[in-house]
Amino acid sequence: MGTALLAFKDLTRPLDDEGRRLVVSGKIEPGEVLFVRGPSGAGKSTLLKILGRILTASGGEAWLRGCSWKDIPAPQWRLKVQYVSQKPVVFDGTVEDNLLMPFRFRLLKHKPSPPREQIKEYLEELQLPATLLDQPAKTLSGGETARMALIRSLLLEPEVLLLDEPTASLDENNRQHLNTLLQYWVVEKPRGIVMVSHNEQDLQAFPKRNSLFIG
Amino acid sequence: MDGYIPISNGQLLLTVILVFITGLISALLKLGLLRPLLWGTVRAFIQLTLIGYVLKYVFQWNTLWVIVPLLLLMSFIAAREATRRITRIPYNPGLNTFLSLTASTFVVGIIVVVLIIGPEPWYSAQVMIPIFGMLFGNSMNAVALSLDRMYSEIHANIEEVEQLLSLGATPWEAVVGYIRKAVSAGMMPTINSLMVVGLVSLPGMMTGQILAGMNPQSAVRYQFVVLVMVASCVAIGCLMIVLLSYRKMFDQDGSLVDDLRRN
Repeated sequence: MGTALLAFKDLTRPLDDEGRRLVVSGKIEPGEVLFVRGPSGAGKSTLLKILGRILTASGGEAWLRGCSWKDIPAPQWRLKVQYVSQKPVVFDGTVEDNLLMPFRFRLLKHKPSPPREQIKEYLEELQLPATLLDQPAKTLSGGETARMALIRSLLLEPEVLLLDEPTASLDENNRQHLNTLLQYWVVEKPRGIVMVSHNEQDLQAFPKRNSLFIG
Repeated sequence: MDGYIPISNGQLLLTVILVFITGLISALLKLGLLRPLLWGTVRAFIQLTLIGYVLKYVFQWNTLWVIVPLLLLMSFIAAREATRRITRIPYNPGLNTFLSLTASTFVVGIIVVVLIIGPEPWYSAQVMIPIFGMLFGNSMNAVALSLDRMYSEIHANIEEVEQLLSLGATPWEAVVGYIRKAVSAGMMPTINSLMVVGLVSLPGMMTGQILAGMNPQSAVRYQFVVLVMVASCVAIGCLMIVLLSYRKMFDQDGSLVDDLRRN
């Protein structure tokens, strides 16, 4: 599959009981942001979930750096190709508990938890106070939750982020900070982002971008 | 066993009075229960008479070649009864239920019969069949409760499970919280019954033994053994059914099955 970071071919999944189907192919190069566009109900979120292997496709195949998803167990794939839901789920405990929760799972147990400094850096870049760490996560506002969920995923050091309207609950200022962070993140190492967004400014924020129209 | 008073045919016939009272209430209030009441009464009488004969011969033969198939048949019927009550599960849980019931009942039943009661011979049908019967009856309800609870918990928390999966959890790690709830839901009624027994309820077995003339202090010992054996049997059965079944909530790729997403 050449040098593509993430490639997918003929991913198929029924969208409803009337026989409408999602069939889609595409790829992202290292450092690139792919914007998924199309009318609502066209299957944009479904595509992200399929790429993140939260939903199973009825057909088609995807490759990460040329390696087929058939050869990578789903839990490992999910860490590398991180799906961040439009409505992230927050669990009981503090914000810090939530951020470090994945490091209790078997797959990540052997890895050291990310240092507090790194977490604080992310918080700062997304305009969140460090005091938030000790707050019960379920008391966060919608915008705070969205940013916390993004940090939770970034700490897993994925190669590809699948972002479903990451800026929808943010004001103008916070939106810019988030896009700046992602801009830097995607080229810091050759990584990739697949994003669903209805905001034209999100699109403009990334010089190396591509669009995929579905529906 | 000198206090045992047999019920003669004539005395048995007098139960008609009781059936008549029940029927009268049904008729007066137009409950529409008259036919099922009569049919149920006839069936109960015939079924019990037949099982009386069956048990008489099984006790006489008293061989494992008859006892074990009979126990397996009981397990099969209990499994069918348990799964009949669970309609929402997106697959047929019959086999898993049968395995859970059989394994939990045999493990606990053997311990109780061989180690604790110790009849001669060790497989005495007169001890084995009533003990196993009580285990099946209780385990059946508990296993059905656990399985139903596991499914409804996961169904109600799809987004949570998917969030955990995307953060790198294995299927087990993603649902273990709900599995805990399911197992304790199955065990709860049994644990509760340990609290109130003797205060609120006199269990059927103890009552039966007392009516049969057994010294109440001996009957109480039996009842205690039965209560703790039911609790451990229920615990094993509930654990087994969720361990055998939770993977069915996921496809081979480790994503939740689509059936869970339908309403």
